[in-house]
Amino acid sequence: ATANAALGIDEEIKIVKKRQPIPKLDENRLLSAAGIPKLRRIGKERLRFKGKGHEYGDITRMLNMYQLWLDDLYPRAKFADGLMMIEKLGHSKRIQYMRKEWIDEGRPKPTTEVDPEE
Amino acid sequence: AQTTLDEWAKDPLVDPEIRAHVYSLISALGGIGDDGTYALGDDALLCLKDLRKWLKFADGQLNRRDVARCMAEANLVKGDLLEILAKMSDRVTQDKLKHKIAVACLELLVPLTWPFEIDPLEATVNHHRHGPYIQLAQIGYKRAVLQYDRARILQTAVRTALPSMAIPLRERSPRDEGLIRIALYFIRNIAMLSPPKSVPMDGDEAEISRSTLIDTFQDQDIFQVILSVASSIGDDFVTQDVVVLEVLFFLLKGIDAEKLFMEDKKLSTKNTEELKSLIQKEKSMLAGYARTAPTRHNRFGAMIWVKRGDEKISTVSGQDVLGKAQKSMEKMDSTKKWNKPKRPGRRMGDEESREEFDLPVPLQSAARKHLKAFVEEFLDSSFNPLFLHLRKAIKRETDRVETRHSRQFFYLVSWFLRAECARRRTMKTKAADPNSAEVLTAEDESYGLVAEAMNQETFILLNQFMQKSQDEKAWQDLNAGMKCFTQILLTVQDMSESALEDDQEIAENIQNRIFYEETTHDRVVNILRSYKDQGFGYLDACTELSHVFLRMLEHYSKQNLDLQIRSRRRARKKRKQQAQAQGENDEEGNVSEAEDITAAQRTVSERKFDFIRFSAKFVNQSSVNTFVSFIRFYHDLDAEQLKRAHRFFYRVAFKMEMGVLLYRIDILHLFNKMIKGPEGLDPESPAFKEWEEFVRHFFRTVVKRVQDRPELVVEMLFSKIPATMYYLEHGHDRELPTRT
Repeated sequence: ATANAALGIDEEIKIVKKRQPIPKLDENRLLSAAGIPKLRRIGKERLRFKGKGHEYGDITRMLNMYQLWLDDLYPRAKFADGLMMIEKLGHSKRIQYMRKEWIDEGRPKPTTEVDPEE
Repeated sequence: AQTTLDEWAKDPLVDPEIRAHVYSLISALGGIGDDGTYALGDDALLCLKDLRKWLKFADGQLNRRDVARCMAEANLVKGDLLEILAKMSDRVTQDKLKHKIAVACLELLVPLTWPFEIDPLEATVNHHRHGPYIQLAQIGYKRAVLQYDRARILQTAVRTALPSMAIPLRERSPRDEGLIRIALYFIRNIAMLSPPKSVPMDGDEAEISRSTLIDTFQDQDIFQVILSVASSIGDDFVTQDVVVLEVLFFLLKGIDAEKLFMEDKKLSTKNTEELKSLIQKEKSMLAGYARTAPTRHNRFGAMIWVKRGDEKISTVSGQDVLGKAQKSMEKMDSTKKWNKPKRPGRRMGDEESREEFDLPVPLQSAARKHLKAFVEEFLDSSFNPLFLHLRKAIKRETDRVETRHSRQFFYLVSWFLRAECARRRTMKTKAADPNSAEVLTAEDESYGLVAEAMNQETFILLNQFMQKSQDEKAWQDLNAGMKCFTQILLTVQDMSESALEDDQEIAENIQNRIFYEETTHDRVVNILRSYKDQGFGYLDACTELSHVFLRMLEHYSKQNLDLQIRSRRRARKKRKQQAQAQGENDEEGNVSEAEDITAAQRTVSERKFDFIRFSAKFVNQSSVNTFVSFIRFYHDLDAEQLKRAHRFFYRVAFKMEMGVLLYRIDILHLFNKMIKGPEGLDPESPAFKEWEEFVRHFFRTVVKRVQDRPELVVEMLFSKIPATMYYLEHGHDRELPTRT
């Protein structure tokens, strides 16, 4: 018996159930397919503006687009809270680097690089 | 509460022996006599002295509050001390014995009413145990003193000190000084005591309100005492300046100086206007709710689907969303259960909440009249001497000056400047009115009455104070400093529009001095930029300061095109060159060279002031954030504050063309909500139109920008980074100026 006790065979192993970790809205989630890449896509596809005279309608539609996108990305948070969290993520080095990349993609290429000769 | 010995012995709170001693002293003090009035006990004077010793030694030396608690439970103040004082009051100055007894009473009253504070370093369990009880008891003392109907307690206290006050300063003994101090501190304690926030209070708050305090001061001629001490400060009184300062602070904090000087008629119309606008506000709020309120009973049970892209569907219940697409979007958001955890705001300690001056205090009309008369007399007679004296004391860092005093000093300066400006305005309108006989004299016109607040020494002290409190993160201090600075600027502006040429010249000079130092400019910008949850009062003060400062500077620099400012800038390069020129093999000078360089790194130079460049400093992400947090309170802002925010955002978006700073979803969301609701600005309010126009205009530019540059769809989520800001705004990179 003493040997068993020393080995600890008889002791019951307590199983502590680990809590399900709460999903976080972090850099990885933001950069995943449902994150910014999707936003860029739907921004191109869905954003249609009516222009002058419809300022408020245009902006409301844009805000709704963001709200639905955010709801898909991170259903837990309310719109205002989610925006605050994302804004904060924007201060990290990695996201800043990516933001610069995305902007540079859209930039017109410097004309000097285009070779005039065939 | 406890009356028998057995109960005392079982009482876990207070040592039964202490209780027994204190109670027996209190019963020996006196009681209802044969004629139905209070009769003093045989050794009343000795009892009073003994009680004082108990309070001083048992509580003071053992660092406990047992005796104070016993005294509160035994109703010593209301039952005995006030009765005794009432009995003494008629002949207190003539009768030696009565004077002595009155002094002994006061010597007990002052420590008993001394505001209860829990010192984090010295506090024991005992303090925390007795704290709430004693705080409530002190409110009871205040009520008893203010409401005592058979004698004027405060006046009696002053009368006790009168003989000592009559003695010239040089011949006064320390005892006389002590007597004066006791009387003044008693007044201060009564003015200072306020219901603790942490403990619920029973009883009528009106009995201890500011209005009651002012009425009592008026009835008992305490205002006269304050005036005579304050006006002869420096001659007959020296060390009393800080006590007077505190009395004034607790008397005036939170009171609106503008309203004080409004004519009764005007004030009542103003009040009706306020009421009207409040009713209007409520109406529009209710209308806002009614527009989307359910039309049938609450178990009607409608449920709708919201189709959203990717063949997904959300469900929303409730009939209020039927046929209103926007409403269903809002409901989808608002029914989420999770809230982002917020960091709890800073809790205010006892002392801080007592010193809080951003909470407005309403006044009854009688109290307003009394206070107005007092403030006018104070400005005429005492403002300059008192504040000169205090400024010197603060500057010298005299022992009696504590840290809170400089905060109170600057708050009061700003308060009185505001009052003076308001008074002038009413005088002017009166004089302009052909029906009234009032004529402005040259004296009325001049700003001599507040000259002590408008000189170079005060500016220097204020600058140091603001810098220090900013460095030490003493936000409430900085708040007071900002209020003072703003008020000085506004006063100078009034002055520059004065009819007297001298005043105009002085105003010019002052402005020149204020705007001359570049450090001042930078400080204003820095304060605005570094806001971070310091509370609404602070936010209001810092936005107002930068608004007023920028506006006046613009005005001034337009008039004085050659405005010079003194700036400090690094001169490292220059220094290096010099060092090289002096010769490299200068080995001995090495030690002092390091010092030399640090000293010379900042040199002072004068250069021409460029307003455009300066105002650009105000337009950046952090100041935008500050103003956004300010405008989030849009429900509670008045027309002037809304205007201030409007001007700032207008400057950002259109004047400086830095709208890119505002291209953020949360800001757009806020603006949209302000105008289109739900719970938006009231469309009938005066500021609404301005804001509506601005937001529409701004939204148009946003739409255009997003169409031009689709990258913004992503960038809209974040604060912009400097590397890409210029490109986003202009669509091309900044062309670096090439030097030849």
